[in-house]
Amino acid sequence: MPRWSKNNKEKKASPPYSNEEWVALLSNPPNEQAIDELRAILIRGLKPALSKYVDQELEQFVKDTAQDALLKILDNIHSFRGESKLTTWAMKIAVREGLTVLRRKKWNNISLNDLRGPNPDSDSSEIFSEKFASKDASPELSTAQKMMMEKVEGIIKNVLTEMQRTAITALMIHDLPVTVVAEKMDTNRNNLYKLVHDARKKMKNEFEMQGIDPKKMISELSGG
Amino acid sequence: MVLNPKILKKLFKAVAYTHDDELGCGDCCDEIEEFIELKLAGKSPEDAYPLVREHLDKCGDCREEYEALLTALKATA
Repeated sequence: MPRWSKNNKEKKASPPYSNEEWVALLSNPPNEQAIDELRAILIRGLKPALSKYVDQELEQFVKDTAQDALLKILDNIHSFRGESKLTTWAMKIAVREGLTVLRRKKWNNISLNDLRGPNPDSDSSEIFSEKFASKDASPELSTAQKMMMEKVEGIIKNVLTEMQRTAITALMIHDLPVTVVAEKMDTNRNNLYKLVHDARKKMKNEFEMQGIDPKKMISELSGG
Repeated sequence: MVLNPKILKKLFKAVAYTHDDELGCGDCCDEIEEFIELKLAGKSPEDAYPLVREHLDKCGDCREEYEALLTALKATA
């Protein structure tokens, strides 16, 4: 006897299911055959989606990810708004689950306190080390770059709050993922994005006050 | 401290394209299914969801998730 048929809910629909059928099949008590069918879809999508991030045991990682995602999908099935296919919504949850696990694993040992960035206690002369100057830059441009770095460092040091500085340093200088930085700062991605958005607005205002045109600077740094 | 011209350019880019009505990660995540289904249908979701497109340009995590989701959905189409 198939496992799903132990459930009181009898599976009458056949795939491909409509959203309404999926929701009915996955709502309590969930139909186990439908769960297996969704698991198979998730695994089929996750393999190519995550293959470039997973060096070893992709098969097992994808199976574990699909299983963890299924638990979230079942827990949240009634929050599905029906504005897309259910399988699109479910795959989004699974992809986020897999990438979040991989990001945590990759950055697990990093402490935000250890990341070097502009802060009021740091020695500003460090940023002018010759090793940071572009090898291809002309001496004039290199000097201009150094002056601009000094100004930008000053703005980050003096205009941003400590939390904003920490976030900007982790995300923009050290390229840490938003997910990881949010967790390490005991917040969520949305709040972190807001914190950084406020920091960018502050920097924009300060640039204007100091006569710095960011778009012009991008062009100059691009050699334009 | 690792400020260099590449990071400087990144900072200027982030600041230059800052405005008040940006989407956060949560809003982007809420709308990404519709965005991506339009994309898979060969339409231009950038026109219907310009703020989602802009958030994807700015947020590395959301962009990575979008690209992975696109790959996953193409594989299961």
